[in-house]
Amino acid sequence: MAIAARREGAQDGLLGGLRRIFGSQEMVLLLSIVALLVVVGAINPRYLAERNLQSMFLGNAYIAVAAIGMSMVIISGNIDISVGSLIGVLATLSGTLAVSGYPIIVCWLAPLVVGALVTGLMGFLVAYLRIPSIVVTLGMLSILKGGLISVTAGAWITDLPQGYALAQMRPLSIPMPVWFMVVLTAAAALWMRYSAFGRAIYAVGGNAEAARLSGISRRRTIMTVFVIHGVFVGIASVLFATQLSVIQSTVPPNLELTIITASVVGGVSILGGTGTVIGSTLAAILLAAIGSSLIFVNISPYWLRAVQGVLILATVLADLMRRRRQARS
Amino acid sequence: MATPSRAAPAGRVPYLIGHEIVLAAILLISLLVLSTQTDRFLTTGNLLNQGRLMAEVGLVALPMTFIIITAGIDLSVGSIMGLCAILLGYSWQNFGLPLELAIVLALVTGALAGAVNGWFITRIGVPPLIMTLATLALYRGLAEGISQARSVRGYPEWFFVLGQGEVLGVPTQLWIFLACAVVAAIVLGMSTFGRATYATGANIVAARFSGIPVDRTVLLIYTASGLIAGLAAIIFVSRVSTTRSDMGTGLELDVITAVVLGGTSIFGGRGTIIGTLLGLILMQALKNGLALAGVKGDGTIVVIGLILIATIIISNLVRRDTDG
Amino acid sequence: MIRTSLLAAVALTVLTGTAWAETWTGGDDLPTNPLACDATAAAAAAKPYDGAEPTGAPDRKGKKITVVDVPKLIGIGYFNATSKGIADAAAELGNVDAKTDGPTKANIDEQITFIDNYITSGVDGILFAANDPVAIAPVLKKALSKGINVVGYDANSTPDARQWFVNQAEFNGIAKALVDNMAKEIGEDGAFAIVTSTFTTPNQARWIAEMGAYAEKCHPNMKWLETVEAQEDNVLSFNQANTLISKYGDELKGLFGMTSVATPASAEAVTQAGKCGSIAVVGLATPNAMKPYVEKDCVKSVVLWNPVDLGYAAMHVLRAVADGDLKPGATSVKAGKLGELQVINGSEILLGAPYTFTKENIGGFDF
Repeated sequence: MAIAARREGAQDGLLGGLRRIFGSQEMVLLLSIVALLVVVGAINPRYLAERNLQSMFLGNAYIAVAAIGMSMVIISGNIDISVGSLIGVLATLSGTLAVSGYPIIVCWLAPLVVGALVTGLMGFLVAYLRIPSIVVTLGMLSILKGGLISVTAGAWITDLPQGYALAQMRPLSIPMPVWFMVVLTAAAALWMRYSAFGRAIYAVGGNAEAARLSGISRRRTIMTVFVIHGVFVGIASVLFATQLSVIQSTVPPNLELTIITASVVGGVSILGGTGTVIGSTLAAILLAAIGSSLIFVNISPYWLRAVQGVLILATVLADLMRRRRQARS
Repeated sequence: MATPSRAAPAGRVPYLIGHEIVLAAILLISLLVLSTQTDRFLTTGNLLNQGRLMAEVGLVALPMTFIIITAGIDLSVGSIMGLCAILLGYSWQNFGLPLELAIVLALVTGALAGAVNGWFITRIGVPPLIMTLATLALYRGLAEGISQARSVRGYPEWFFVLGQGEVLGVPTQLWIFLACAVVAAIVLGMSTFGRATYATGANIVAARFSGIPVDRTVLLIYTASGLIAGLAAIIFVSRVSTTRSDMGTGLELDVITAVVLGGTSIFGGRGTIIGTLLGLILMQALKNGLALAGVKGDGTIVVIGLILIATIIISNLVRRDTDG
Repeated sequence: MIRTSLLAAVALTVLTGTAWAETWTGGDDLPTNPLACDATAAAAAAKPYDGAEPTGAPDRKGKKITVVDVPKLIGIGYFNATSKGIADAAAELGNVDAKTDGPTKANIDEQITFIDNYITSGVDGILFAANDPVAIAPVLKKALSKGINVVGYDANSTPDARQWFVNQAEFNGIAKALVDNMAKEIGEDGAFAIVTSTFTTPNQARWIAEMGAYAEKCHPNMKWLETVEAQEDNVLSFNQANTLISKYGDELKGLFGMTSVATPASAEAVTQAGKCGSIAVVGLATPNAMKPYVEKDCVKSVVLWNPVDLGYAAMHVLRAVADGDLKPGATSVKAGKLGELQVINGSEILLGAPYTFTKENIGGFDF
């Protein structure tokens, strides 16, 4: 049971520090990404072309952003399987505001606010009414999805105004979503590690009793985690909505599974209490790279899904092996 | 999620009676309201038909109850169903196996798929969520790969009795489902295996120290889940007279909703088959009754989501219980 | 133990990676019937009526009927359009109460449940677009046995499960239009890739198979590179198209979009990659979704039929069937403002030839 204290770790010198870094899931993921790039790049050099790398990161950055919030939720000992539906709803909201003539900044910020409200409601049910998060989010998934279709019937949102496409901007020639992904991950990682609240999240997820004894309010922590998660989901939905010049106002299929997979492959333990957001971002990148690489190496398209499943399993097993070895030493 | 909930008193159906009563009340109210909206809802023909339609979800919900009681989860049931359906068709058509043998093969595959889940979860220690998330993709992928996106059709007539036929006026699969439900209820509520299940979910460490064969229990439960998913696959193929590799997509959510609605705690240690059955009936009643009352599909899923949350809230408030 | 599992996993990965399909991936294995390479129209084969009849259908002539339309899924532009057509026809007829209801994803399990519920609720007529032709048959037959009129459109069921099927265009006709358009844009030896929904979607699989057969017959030097799946999701189609563009670089000259979602997404990918004009995008799509790309000259032509007309025709056919005006053996049927539509293949009603939207005419449509 990982309690916040373990993460501080005894700084036994440079070697200990290095061993800690290299023994981490994050390093395993990073090495896997590099290995994948090298191997697939050797098979088909176009894989390493700037264009491909950019579009790979660009197209999936929103998943990494959403995974940040999801990781926090999972670390606190909960889960949110309604995130796909929520992204669909918020993306549609943003687009609808945009074509209705609201200022662009409002269209970008509204999803954050609404997202936080919705997840805040979910957090309230989880934290204060003690409904298990899987129940709340399972119910919310249906409510959001059904609600979205009732209202929009899946209509395309077209004629988006100029300047709205946040995800298509390229400050300093780096796609905006990549900026968001990197900056938000770094900020969240630092915050989770060094702030009192960040440590409270780990505590609540890892050992609720110890957390309570330390004076941490479980209810307030969980509620706040959900609200923060909602903000991240809102950001992700804007990135998602602005990728193309039309918005399909539907719920993207299987999005929640992808986000959860990114978090757990990233080392966030489903039992709560361990994992980092850096891990989940790296995992999101790795999953995107795997998906793209399978097309590059001409894996038979009928077997694509199977291979993906195997690779996910392999990554998880590698992580387990690593933890076992660490526990033994 | 890490806080263990109170251990179930050995041998007795745990103090879930409270939740079942609440659920039964909600079910009754729903049935009443729905029957006033349309007179085609509470007819024997319709009810039997609904029984036929819910057999697949119902069957898979039985072992899922066991799984969730052990504080685990199985997200791969839908994919196992697809895989077994494909193997049923593929082995019959491409390998020329007699259909009876193909059916057995499909069941064996389901059991094997479940066993693989169970083995990795018990021996290797992969958390159930992650393992079954990976096999969700893997098994579905195997189904797609083996079938090469072809569907299999042209089954013999006798095969359709299973999914489309009746025995003594009751749909065939409903008989099967009821039989399995009775067996599941007996095993869970009155056998050592059932007690071991509760103990594992309540406090796995204590269970191990008590000499309960935790690993074997969990392994058997996941194997059963796969096996039943295979059975559900066969019934479904018989009902629609074709196999496709995308069969069973989304099954896991319906099943988990029914089980959770029935009062089984996601933290483990609590849950009953009766609760799951009530949850199943409530969900099916809503889907059917609302549709008959003129509510469209999107409205129906909103209502189901609301009732799911509302039921648990009411149940918690009424019983003044906490989930650990 | 973990190590062996890992090794097994990697080995499995390597082994499966070597399988390769010979015909175009994504096509089905039913017999193909490519059209002539020039503009000769296909001879319409006269077949005896092979649809089914409802048992004990009450006399509905002139009376008000309730009709439900259960498309493959709701929530995408294409079926919004067909739904509109059905509603337009119902309003025009005046004695039809029609509504559209269906699953939120293209799933046979759910579609069957929807139809089943409506059978129980006692509708007079069912319009459908099937997710799977064989799987939907049992529940449609059940509808027929209860005296309900059943007419399909867009995606057929087995003929013995419905009375009539309104076909938007023949599979080989669509294949010819698509491939000819692509050949015109990228030349006789251009290379192209295909973005489809899933390999198991019956219509798409038929089209791809027919496209393959037609290309082999009439444009044998065109090179098929790859087919990728993108479900009915916009962003996924976009990402897949991007990956294809990255993978093949300059070799890729054209992209086929097989769904009304894949085509605009592919066009978007081509636009964002700055390859308008060097990669052609040809596909099936609704005009509204494609207007921005057609106006920018990124996409030259969009092939489709008019889905609003398709729904409109289907509703008229159902009314005619319910009234007893359209009987087995008929050779044509009057469908409101569309005029007389031909009966082909025994129990199919042809909407017409596929329609090509171009920069000149796309402004006149709003769906």
